[in-house]
Amino acid sequence: MNPTVDDILQTAQELRWKVGNNFHEQLMETIYTEAAQIADRSVTYPGKKPRFDLDRTIDGIVTSRLWGFPLMILLFTVVFWITISGANVPSDWIARLLIGIIYPMLKTGAATIGLPWWLSGLLIDGMYLATAWVVSVMLPPMAIFFPLFTLLEDFGYLPRVAFNLDNWFKKSGAHGKQALTMMMGFGCNAAGMVATRIIDSPRERLIAMITNNFALCNGRWPTQILIATLFIGAMVPAQLAGLISALAVVGVALLGVMLSFGVSWSLSKSVLKGEISTFSLELPPYRPPRIWQTITTSMIDRTFFVLWRAVVFAMPAGAIIWLGANIHVGNLSLVEYLINFLNPLGWLIGLNGIILVAYIVAIPANEIVIPTILMLTVLTSNLSGVGDGAGIMFQTDQVETMALFKTGGWTLLTGLNLMLFSLMHNPCSTTIYTMYRESGSLKWTLVATLLPLCMGFVVTFVVAQLWRLF
Amino acid sequence: MNKLTDTTERIFSEDALKHIYECEQEHRRPTMQSVAGSVQITLGKTADLLTKMASRNLLQMKGEEFQLTDEGRDYALQIVRAHRLWERYLADETGFAETEWHELADRHEHSMSPTEIEALAAKLGHPTHDPHGDPIPTAKGEFVPHGGQPLTVMSVGDMARIVHLEDEPETVYAQIVAEGLYVGLEVRLTEISPERIRFRSNGNEYTLAPVFALNISAVPLPKNHVMASSDCERLTCLEPGQSGKVVNISPTCRGPERRRFMDLGILPGTLITAEMRSPSGDPTAYRIRGALIALRHEQGNLINVKRKGKNDNDNQQ
Amino acid sequence: MTTNSKSIPPNLLCESCPAHHAANLLKLGVNMENWDYAIALAGNPNTGKSTVFNALTGLRQHTGNWPGKTVSRAEGGFSYANHRYKIVDLPGTYSLLATSLDEEVARDFLLFGRPDVTIVVVDASRLERNLNLALQVLEITDRAVVCLNLIDEAKRHNIQVDERRLARDLGVPVVPTSARYGRGLAELLQAVDEVATGQTVCKPHRFQTESPMLKQTIGQLVTKLKATFPTLPNARWVALRLLDGDERIAEAVRKGELEELYESNR
Repeated sequence: MNPTVDDILQTAQELRWKVGNNFHEQLMETIYTEAAQIADRSVTYPGKKPRFDLDRTIDGIVTSRLWGFPLMILLFTVVFWITISGANVPSDWIARLLIGIIYPMLKTGAATIGLPWWLSGLLIDGMYLATAWVVSVMLPPMAIFFPLFTLLEDFGYLPRVAFNLDNWFKKSGAHGKQALTMMMGFGCNAAGMVATRIIDSPRERLIAMITNNFALCNGRWPTQILIATLFIGAMVPAQLAGLISALAVVGVALLGVMLSFGVSWSLSKSVLKGEISTFSLELPPYRPPRIWQTITTSMIDRTFFVLWRAVVFAMPAGAIIWLGANIHVGNLSLVEYLINFLNPLGWLIGLNGIILVAYIVAIPANEIVIPTILMLTVLTSNLSGVGDGAGIMFQTDQVETMALFKTGGWTLLTGLNLMLFSLMHNPCSTTIYTMYRESGSLKWTLVATLLPLCMGFVVTFVVAQLWRLF
Repeated sequence: MNKLTDTTERIFSEDALKHIYECEQEHRRPTMQSVAGSVQITLGKTADLLTKMASRNLLQMKGEEFQLTDEGRDYALQIVRAHRLWERYLADETGFAETEWHELADRHEHSMSPTEIEALAAKLGHPTHDPHGDPIPTAKGEFVPHGGQPLTVMSVGDMARIVHLEDEPETVYAQIVAEGLYVGLEVRLTEISPERIRFRSNGNEYTLAPVFALNISAVPLPKNHVMASSDCERLTCLEPGQSGKVVNISPTCRGPERRRFMDLGILPGTLITAEMRSPSGDPTAYRIRGALIALRHEQGNLINVKRKGKNDNDNQQ
Repeated sequence: MTTNSKSIPPNLLCESCPAHHAANLLKLGVNMENWDYAIALAGNPNTGKSTVFNALTGLRQHTGNWPGKTVSRAEGGFSYANHRYKIVDLPGTYSLLATSLDEEVARDFLLFGRPDVTIVVVDASRLERNLNLALQVLEITDRAVVCLNLIDEAKRHNIQVDERRLARDLGVPVVPTSARYGRGLAELLQAVDEVATGQTVCKPHRFQTESPMLKQTIGQLVTKLKATFPTLPNARWVALRLLDGDERIAEAVRKGELEELYESNR
């Protein structure tokens, strides 16, 4: 009679006692021994060993004590510089095309076919403009940053960066590869979330995801730069203004990096204690990057992927802003009720109701914070002659903007706290959604969402109280 | 099996069972006092507890003396099983420190139903030993004892392999862990006196007070045994450019980390060359079977290698 | 089983062969309905698995010089020599002994996903380390093709691999490729097609256990397994997993999943 299934499993169980504890080890040893034998038989090394080992030479330079860090800083500075300075021009073109040319055409078109004002307002002034804004602000920097980053990745340099920086990340309980996901986060936090896949230790990956938001993404750079220029740069003599405001922005970004380390450290010592942690970092051989393929794949994989999600969220956001500003109950629009409701809280943390509403509206994309603030300020202060009508996001020049802020009652404290709050608040909905998809955990997604928000409230509150005290 | 319903009472009686079982294993006679001490309740309560347990047919009482019934022994073994499975789980699947395992396992052993215990065992792949070297009884209560004897009863010159480290009391265990001793380590005894026990292993000399040595069990190795790890050193001792052959992965390296090492091809006999060190001092990149792998300092310390000097002839294993 | 077995190694294609035209390859992207054969793509991380996948399907899975890019499995389709293929890109793993989620995904697909052919992508410049996985795959399946990738990189590092010798040792076709530059893919497809249609019958290498004690123990279990599941192709592998305490496999044995799947696969 044939043995039954239970009998087989029973036998296996008994034999396990016989083969002992290190069966797995013996098995691996057997397999590797055979792999080595087979490889030995078919691998030969014809020709002489080349005198010059390119990989080793490059490694010798990029990980050397002398050149390792300066080279790294130089490379990344160049990447960010090209991104920021190179993005302005195409951003401007796209804005001119989408807002300057297509927008009036759509408006005329709508009038010609006789669309009711509310429908054309909702579709064109709300949804279209919000989307156009997001595309023109987000697309160019991402289309420059991601391919450059991907080239470095393809070449094999990025693992060396993780190798160089790991010691510091280790001290905060994180993985050296977090340096790269953070860097990716400077481009876009959602892309940074996806990039955490390269971290194969569950605990360190979670840490990298939760702290990714502290890397100032390119949707927040414009806010930082504008506010720093208007408020901090204005405090010093004109010839120093540029330098000081640039330093302020860099300071906020560095504060983000430090927060990242600090939060990583406390997470690894508290809630994530007991999670499995392993370290593995393979340094692959250098490979000549294929420029064209890199550009196309990184455009499709990262740039359009992120942009698409942003657009998907920007359209309904545009609709909501427009509706909020145009539906009136009594004398006030819905959005004004919300602003009045949030004003006390805003005052408490050195901001105001408009800014808080803007951050609610801007959950889909941080890029729309400033235009929303401007639009809402116009709306509530009943100014006329600026921009052209409720519900439209527009760009104005700096003088006009500053004047608007002044009418809104802004002080240096408002500017400072806005910069801090821009660093520490919930990630955008794209990032939240990506985190949920990648981690599969509602709990950790909530932590990643609420932790920076709470920190933002606490920090701005403390700053505001201290400010008013002195 | 008749499970006691009341939770605290369950914990007390299970702890008592475990204690009596341990005494039985070590051929000591359990007393009312020892039970009271181990469960941490008053003598009066202990008497009540024991009577109750006897009425449940877990114990046989003969005046002052008592011993486990077969049923009681089975029950005790299930608790031991739960405890050791938990320690295995904590060692293999979590990042908790070694000294925390025992206490955590103590907390969980009482709250598990037989089904949960089986699920845990299955999840862990039905392990045979806990991380301290103790055998985990099977669901039927069978196990093979580790068969070791305390280091204190051996003689100078003996070689032995550590098979068990007692994890109670915690202070003693913490000291043993801090010394870097582990199950599977091979030692050669160099001094045994009432004051201290001395032995060598992996090129290190260890000196312990007899209290500590008493908690370390080992099986003697034959006289002609060649110590596996006689003149080896840690991988981290290699400077960039130097090579060594792997002797073993330290048994203190467990679970996913150990399997990852093996997946990377770090096995006895593998040639590893240190290639470069990170400019921040750590990690170090090693050439392993053609691939360049970065290992952190603590990871390198888990791998024992035999240095391959320039003058070494290669035919020695 | 097919009767027209050919000896191994497989004929590595002559130019006159009608199938030898890359033009026969029709990239179908994600369109993979009504496929005739399913292919699994296994390999170590960073060996160019995704590059092979992209080259065959015309899809653009992100690739990078960095292990661990493919997390979930990607699927795509292509058609070659009038056969429609579905191809699944498995996560890159160093081993199949199911210690991580990735390995479990890869292992489960090979075992339960019934691929008709498994392509094992190995890095020619790190053969020894890559063969570790290849040998494990060959324990599970008897229809595989080894794709000896990154041959250009190996050449650059002065490493030459004798693919005929390797094919003889492994008992399955071995095709040298350089997927990044599209080289060797036609030959790879031809070899896959021949294994899929049964023109090439593989006699995969099964590793020998050194210790006599283990051999006896494994033998004991294999005998029992074979008696109960006579058509099980990978009884020894199942035995090894049971001895290693692999609960997933024990579960499969309990439910009789292994053989059932194998039967419906024929």
